[in-house]
Amino acid sequence: MRIIPQNQFDRDYDINDLLKGINQKRLLPALKNLLGQSVRLLDSKDNLILGNAEKTKELKRIPLTVQIEPVAYLESEDEVALKNVAMLLEQLFKSSERYLMASDLHLESVHADYEKLQKKHEALLASETKFKELAENLEQRVQEQVKTIDAAQRQLYQAEKLASVGQLAAGVAHEINNPVGFIRSNLSTADDYVKNITQFSSQFNSGLDLEALTRYWQDNDLDFTLEDFSVLLKESIEGADRVKKIVADLKDFSNVDGAEVSISNLSEVLRSVCNVASSQIAEKAELELDLKDLPDTRCEAGHLGQVFLNMIQNAAQAIKNEKGKINVSSAFIDDDMVIKISDNGCGMSAENIERIFDPFYTTQEVGSGTGLGLTVSKDIVNSHEGRIEVESQEGKGTTFIITLPVKG
Amino acid sequence: MAEYDEKEQKLTIKLVYYGPALSGKTTNLMSLHDQIDPQLSGDLMTMETKNDRTLFFDLLPIGIRAASGLLIKFKLFTVPGQVAHDGTRKAVLSRADGVVFVADSQSNQKINNGESFQNLADNAKRVGLDFESLPLVVQFNKRDLPNIVSEEEIKERWGRTNWHLYFSTATKGEGVKETFETLLALVYQDMERRFKLKTEHGLQEKDFILSVMSSSEMQV
Repeated sequence: MRIIPQNQFDRDYDINDLLKGINQKRLLPALKNLLGQSVRLLDSKDNLILGNAEKTKELKRIPLTVQIEPVAYLESEDEVALKNVAMLLEQLFKSSERYLMASDLHLESVHADYEKLQKKHEALLASETKFKELAENLEQRVQEQVKTIDAAQRQLYQAEKLASVGQLAAGVAHEINNPVGFIRSNLSTADDYVKNITQFSSQFNSGLDLEALTRYWQDNDLDFTLEDFSVLLKESIEGADRVKKIVADLKDFSNVDGAEVSISNLSEVLRSVCNVASSQIAEKAELELDLKDLPDTRCEAGHLGQVFLNMIQNAAQAIKNEKGKINVSSAFIDDDMVIKISDNGCGMSAENIERIFDPFYTTQEVGSGTGLGLTVSKDIVNSHEGRIEVESQEGKGTTFIITLPVKG
Repeated sequence: MAEYDEKEQKLTIKLVYYGPALSGKTTNLMSLHDQIDPQLSGDLMTMETKNDRTLFFDLLPIGIRAASGLLIKFKLFTVPGQVAHDGTRKAVLSRADGVVFVADSQSNQKINNGESFQNLADNAKRVGLDFESLPLVVQFNKRDLPNIVSEEEIKERWGRTNWHLYFSTATKGEGVKETFETLLALVYQDMERRFKLKTEHGLQEKDFILSVMSSSEMQV
């Protein structure tokens, strides 16, 4: 048997339900006045609701029907009055039932709505929890992404560095190739000379007389050999020194791996950079140096060298047609070191000037630059608490001005 | 969700008239009340507000008694058709044992009919009724009005479904009894399966229907 909850609006209402809201203390005297003192009201199972517990005499009985079933019985002596009163009570109960059904239905639907709201609320709580978790994860994921981007950026910066160095390498290779070439040639000649002298030595040991030896010496022009040998060696030493210097200059600023802080003189760094760059840009421009004495400063010389090289390479790229000039100067002004790199190239539009320090912005053809050179340069200068300014006029040329404070 | 009270020998069956606003659900009940002659007949309880709109529900209680003494009580309800009263509509539909869907035949009511029918299906699911097996009769009312959808078109659209289809003019009492009789037949089959009306209570389908529709004609 199914248990029926009591609040269902479509249930059968019993007499106790229907009498709710009716003042029974006033109902009983009214019934007594209408039907006499012996009146009794009983429920559908013959339990007394109102009136005398004991029947004192024979009473007429009439059912009170609300829907199709009796909900109560009314007993009295007066049959005619009983019918009339029963009719009245039925109307009263029907009205009461109408009200009860409507209010229970209202409660039922409100309760259903409430349950629905509660479910929605739970669903919302669940999704809130989910979103909270997501948000927390998001923070973590953003951090991971930032790490990835940082790493990628570092790689790009590194790539930019390597690209500058790579461009340098071509020039430097040429520069080194030249002395290495003639050193190799000299050594080859020297080897021949040593053979000549070795042959003379074997003549000497074979017991030839002085006259024969002298003739041999003169026939083989060994005076010249010795003289030229000496020259060759001298030239080769000079060549080796040139290579050594190039390598030293290169090493000075192309310190790719480490950002080593050292006490350096920026004019010297500039000079090294110009030495290394000169061969690379020789075809396009003439490099003029105007380097004043600067105080030593604590800096990442390798990084700053990269900045200067970048500026010089940019200057060279700005020179499109006939051979141009690039002027590199340093000066100590108002306790600041001021380095200027000017060219008489094509210059830049105001629009380009605004954007040249933006990452990946490049006016060069795709593939010829990473578009990070100036961005990296600016970062490096900023990290030295300095600043980069640019002055440019289209068709006239561009000047980069790097201002750096001296650090003890 | 018929309620069977074994001790009291009482079976209560709830039937619901569903449909869009002003389609004639209350009129169906009033007409039915006038036309049928059940063994036990109660008063029609209506709760209309102004403009003939049902606020909560209408209720027509009727009853029959089987040979076994079992009292079968039918409670015929209408739902409020207005869209806004969906909470009430859902509560009235709860525990229903059979449904008459009263549609409005007028051409401009097609969308309302469709939405209301969908609402019936949705609410049935929400209150835990199996819509597929629920005894359901579809009635297209107001056949006497101009600008109505033709029977052919309605049959074309609804005839392919499993539901029984009737055309009616409830204000003139036409088609109301037929609709209800068919619902009674469907409900009997359901009740017979669950409560063995034939074997345990000696109640045949035709007696079941006849004692509701016109008990005075019965040969008892």
